[in-house]
Amino acid sequence: MSKNMAINLEHVTRVEGHGNIVLNVKKGTIEKIQWQVSEAPRFFEAMLRGRPYTELRTIASRICGICSIGHSLASLKATEDALNVTITEQTALFRRLAINAENMQSHILHLGYLAVPDLFGVGSVFPLVESPHKETVLKIIQLHRLSNELSDLICGRTTHPIRLIVGGFSAFPTKQQLLHLKERLQEGISITAQVAETIKSVVDKFPTFSRETEYIGLTSPEEYALYDGTIASTDTGLFKDAKNYRSIMKEYLVPWSTAKYSKHTRKSYMVGALARFNLNSKMLHPKAQRVAKSFNLQAINYNPFMNNIAQLVEFMHNIEDSIRLIDTIVDKGIKEEKPVSVTIKQGRGVGIVEVPRGILVHDYSLDKHGKCTNANCIIPTNQNHANIQKDMEALVPQILHKPKQEIELNLEMLVRAYDPCISCSTHYLTVDFI
Amino acid sequence: MSKPRVAFFDFSSCEGCQLQIANLEEEILDLISLVDVVSFREVMKEHSDEYDIAFVEGSIMRPIDERRLRKIRKHAKIVVALGACATIGGINKIRNQWPVENVKKEVYGSEHLEDNDYFDVFPTKALNEVVPVDFYIHGCPINYDEFKHVVTSLALGKKPDIPTYPVCVECKKNENICLFELGKFCLGPITRAGCKAICPTNGSPCDGCRGILKKPNTDCVQDILDRYHLTYEEMKSRCVLYNYSKEECK
Amino acid sequence: MAPLPTIKIISKRELNVFIDNLIQKSKSEVIGVKAKGERYVFAPLTDASELCLNYDVTILPPKKYFLPQYEPLMNYDLKKPFKVEKNLQDFSRILIGVHPYDIIALEQSDKVYLDPQKDDFYDQRRKNTIIIGADIQKVSKRSFAASMNTHITDSGFDLLLTNIGSHYAITIGSEKGKKLLEKYASTKIATEDDRKKIEKTRESIVSNYKKKVKVEKEQWSSTLVANYDHALWEEKSDRCLGCSSCTMVCPTCYCYDIKDDVTFSLKDGTRIRTWDGCLLHDFTKISSGEVFRDDIRDRYRHRFYRKGNYLPARYDFVACVGCGRCGIACLPDIADPCDVLNELSHLDYTDGTHKFFIEQKKKPTAVQGTIHLPRSATIQQVKRLTESEIYLQIELDDKKPLGHSPGQFVEISLFGIGEAPISISSAPGTSPLFELVVRKVGNVTSKLFTMKKGDKVGIRGPFGNGFTIKDFENKHLLFVLGGLGLPPMRSLINYILDKKNRQHFKDVTILYGCKQPCQVLFLDEIKKWQKMENVVCKLTVDQCEKNECWAGEVGLITTLFPEIKIDKSTIQDTMAIVIGPPIMYKFVIKCLQTLGVPDTNIFVSLERRMKCGVGKCGHCQINGVYVCREGPVFKYNDIKNLPEAFE
Repeated sequence: MSKNMAINLEHVTRVEGHGNIVLNVKKGTIEKIQWQVSEAPRFFEAMLRGRPYTELRTIASRICGICSIGHSLASLKATEDALNVTITEQTALFRRLAINAENMQSHILHLGYLAVPDLFGVGSVFPLVESPHKETVLKIIQLHRLSNELSDLICGRTTHPIRLIVGGFSAFPTKQQLLHLKERLQEGISITAQVAETIKSVVDKFPTFSRETEYIGLTSPEEYALYDGTIASTDTGLFKDAKNYRSIMKEYLVPWSTAKYSKHTRKSYMVGALARFNLNSKMLHPKAQRVAKSFNLQAINYNPFMNNIAQLVEFMHNIEDSIRLIDTIVDKGIKEEKPVSVTIKQGRGVGIVEVPRGILVHDYSLDKHGKCTNANCIIPTNQNHANIQKDMEALVPQILHKPKQEIELNLEMLVRAYDPCISCSTHYLTVDFI
Repeated sequence: MSKPRVAFFDFSSCEGCQLQIANLEEEILDLISLVDVVSFREVMKEHSDEYDIAFVEGSIMRPIDERRLRKIRKHAKIVVALGACATIGGINKIRNQWPVENVKKEVYGSEHLEDNDYFDVFPTKALNEVVPVDFYIHGCPINYDEFKHVVTSLALGKKPDIPTYPVCVECKKNENICLFELGKFCLGPITRAGCKAICPTNGSPCDGCRGILKKPNTDCVQDILDRYHLTYEEMKSRCVLYNYSKEECK
Repeated sequence: MAPLPTIKIISKRELNVFIDNLIQKSKSEVIGVKAKGERYVFAPLTDASELCLNYDVTILPPKKYFLPQYEPLMNYDLKKPFKVEKNLQDFSRILIGVHPYDIIALEQSDKVYLDPQKDDFYDQRRKNTIIIGADIQKVSKRSFAASMNTHITDSGFDLLLTNIGSHYAITIGSEKGKKLLEKYASTKIATEDDRKKIEKTRESIVSNYKKKVKVEKEQWSSTLVANYDHALWEEKSDRCLGCSSCTMVCPTCYCYDIKDDVTFSLKDGTRIRTWDGCLLHDFTKISSGEVFRDDIRDRYRHRFYRKGNYLPARYDFVACVGCGRCGIACLPDIADPCDVLNELSHLDYTDGTHKFFIEQKKKPTAVQGTIHLPRSATIQQVKRLTESEIYLQIELDDKKPLGHSPGQFVEISLFGIGEAPISISSAPGTSPLFELVVRKVGNVTSKLFTMKKGDKVGIRGPFGNGFTIKDFENKHLLFVLGGLGLPPMRSLINYILDKKNRQHFKDVTILYGCKQPCQVLFLDEIKKWQKMENVVCKLTVDQCEKNECWAGEVGLITTLFPEIKIDKSTIQDTMAIVIGPPIMYKFVIKCLQTLGVPDTNIFVSLERRMKCGVGKCGHCQINGVYVCREGPVFKYNDIKNLPEAFE
């Protein structure tokens, strides 16, 4: 086939941050496939340097508007690890609620506003409002509102959470407020199921594509790991030496991207909802299991487009989990706790959590005055960039026969499926030459 | 009268401010019946260069960003800076403490990146250091009620009413215990209100993310530090977070 | 001798039962003093055990229940086409634990808000709220209430609780209180011994007051009058942040602002009242950008004078109850009236020539309808007069006449945008039509500039002190008018020059000045006046381009004065009326005085930020004078010594 084609999608729409897809085909031969990240580097390390440990969370939160709770928690965990601070049981429970809320908020935003329009063949969610699908849009908005109510209550504010501080919380909600929210969450279950039904009716618009991939995430024998866990890989199993995360997450630079690429055993690996599902699907709560089953989603699934469905499954799981957490908290009674007191000392700490897009690492070194001397962050999307590139290289030959517009759409949908958070990924510290 | 055409853009930011528009929830539907959203890269594929009002989030860090911003200024009748990164440079300006060369070397090591447009970085600038800005929606993130107020004001043809008084007014109305009484240094007395004092209300001192008011009266600072047993160091450190500039940090 | 109040005794356990009964059975919202961290606040009670009667002082006073921080006054819907609904509170409340100084503060705000121009929202809340006061058990370290005699009170409450050791005494202050006790509490009659215990408790608390103010309440006024120009105001205000925390927490501060909230539909929304503070820079700012109390020193000083001199002159109370909240709230600690008065008390009294208020001759008259709710009106005619001025003829939809006198103003209301005070240009009378001349300056006036016949607006008023025609009868009249000063006088001049009335007035001289020829208003009427007998009418513009067609003088309005030929003998009989931009007054009045016009014969119309129109929101004050009530028309002699009048 002597096909000539040039695709240059600058600033792909409906993703967070700025990235370009470039494809050059000459006489049927693929000359160039590039997933280019053009986002401006923001130099967060330079911002964290020299700042007192009390301010690190405030700055780290601003790495990303959508995962601000996740960055805050990873930042706090790293700081607390460096200072040898152990949080109370109550704080741990509330932080799990916070991370659930963020997962919910981010997933439903991605699914509803960024991914679903492709399934309905429209450019954005706005035209859907005039169509017979208006009800679905309203339900998605309701679920988004519910997620925000949860994080507003626990963190004081969804974006750039105020109440999350070193050692605990600056304020806790009341029992009445939690119980009211529990009611709202229970209402959310049936709405989620309805939205799942609607998505199921158009899910075959996702290409059937499969490429064997390594998946990395947190895992735990006690729960579907988000806040706490051990690093695990579908290729090599558990990795208990958290402080040496660099031996698993190896970053390197490529000239067409301001974001680094990552690899482990293969040329790339994937993190995120699908990775977590592949590692921990047995730990999902019952209703979430049912949603997965209805989509025939089973571990281990190698189709990156199914990351979207994994997000839907996690959303249901987060609702169920939040209800259980609230019950536990109310049973134990909410104590008027002040944050755990801190003795300032020199040290290095590593904080790892799962944010909506995958495993996140914050690594801080503090001097004896509690000021940050060194900071390192491994961002989930960073870890996915290489995988996006490799997926594209594998997908394009399979769809080259399709009309140009369809190829473009498929490539965009591939990128969107990863739910990339590109502006997070463009800031890092020391380069490790491999 | 036709609906005003509105476009959203972002530069170096966390996109948290644009997210607040999604947080309008059901009211988004009312918003899109008031205005025509012709470009919003984050949520829609369609794009048009014909818009009346441009909402711009993020700071300017590179010449290619400057060029893109100038283009936007040319197309739009009204440019609104959205969020602290755009209005005052915000967190992004903290790195202006260090010379750019040092920062680049630190981050990218010995890679030769001089001829790569993507990496050509200068000290962070707020939008109004590059183009004239018509209106400002402050905060980190913005308060979507204020966004609503600005949009409806522009649609009604009136000037938005943004507070020129300090956060203390809203904090006292919320009946918060003053954070100074709890031994914390709060930037509320010199920071622009409009956020309903959300941080002090949640137990956290104000960081000044909405910008310092014009010419605050700072003669009393030493008195205040003494009365509440706070250090000058701590105060200076708090000012750097959002309002770093060589002159203001006194 | 007044009869002794009925006093009952209740055990501490029974008191808790009483309060629990109120919470569970009374159908009222029960609010009491609760702990919040190390401080205290008034908040809803779910259980009697939450109540802390031994508190020192709450962060905010109970004023938040009568003048809420954010109060939705009315909902409007422009689709209908002018539907406005009041948001009156219809539920009842019980406040428990109000200290005497806060009770006294409420009685003070009653005098302000329940005067003939009554605020029905405040009124409703007062009527629906039962006050259960409490004698002070713990004294706040910044309070000086004892030296203000506000640490005890014998009125203003429905019930008053006093801790007399083993029991509580309950003084009954009203029929409502009595019934409440009968229904929900089991009490015994107080004995003579109990009464003595109450007295002793009240006396013994006095010694716990570390802070004392050395100037007697009755002397605050004269102390302040003597020290208006003292350096103390500059020294202290140098450290003032202008944050207005002092006014927010003060029980006797109640200035407010009103803003419109609008939904995305642009057609409906809510008009909201919120607290404002005179320490804030833009408190006196008007649409043109002018700020009448720009210097922090003036704003800082104003608060003390309002409390210690202006309000006492108007209402016979010192508007400070010594609660000490401002002392706690002020970060640089300069807000405390006790400290300020004590510092002033060291100084020698000097004879002050300042006067900060006007003797009140008439009480404010009740307004039609309510003070906040605008009446619906329709624009009947629109005429563009100049580039920036427009003439509107308006009729109230209920077809009633406005009932105004010349010099008064209305607040014209555009829901979603705001309100603006505009002087009425038409003659008073029985017609339901009235006229306004509007200059495009801010949000409201810019919007009015685009309106057409048939459009609806809201009207509140008429407000203010206007001219009394009788003052001008049998006098020579000299009008000195600048810019927009002409329209409000146009109807008065037409009335005077009308054949029917002409014989009641003597010679008429009109001096009219504008910035440029294109801004001259009503030129055809002026030309008619110029032709009349015994009428001299001179026009001038500040500047004129070479190619502009202008037949009058060029120069400031003061340059017209040398041309006036008024006999020295008639000058005593001449009334001068001066209206124009603020800058004009100083110079024109000098000219008039040079001419020999007595100060008592000069009238001025001053402008400030008129917002409520009824002397409550506080924005229009010139020292102790409300421009919306005692003005905008003033006798120059009455206000010439007011420091803030002509700066």
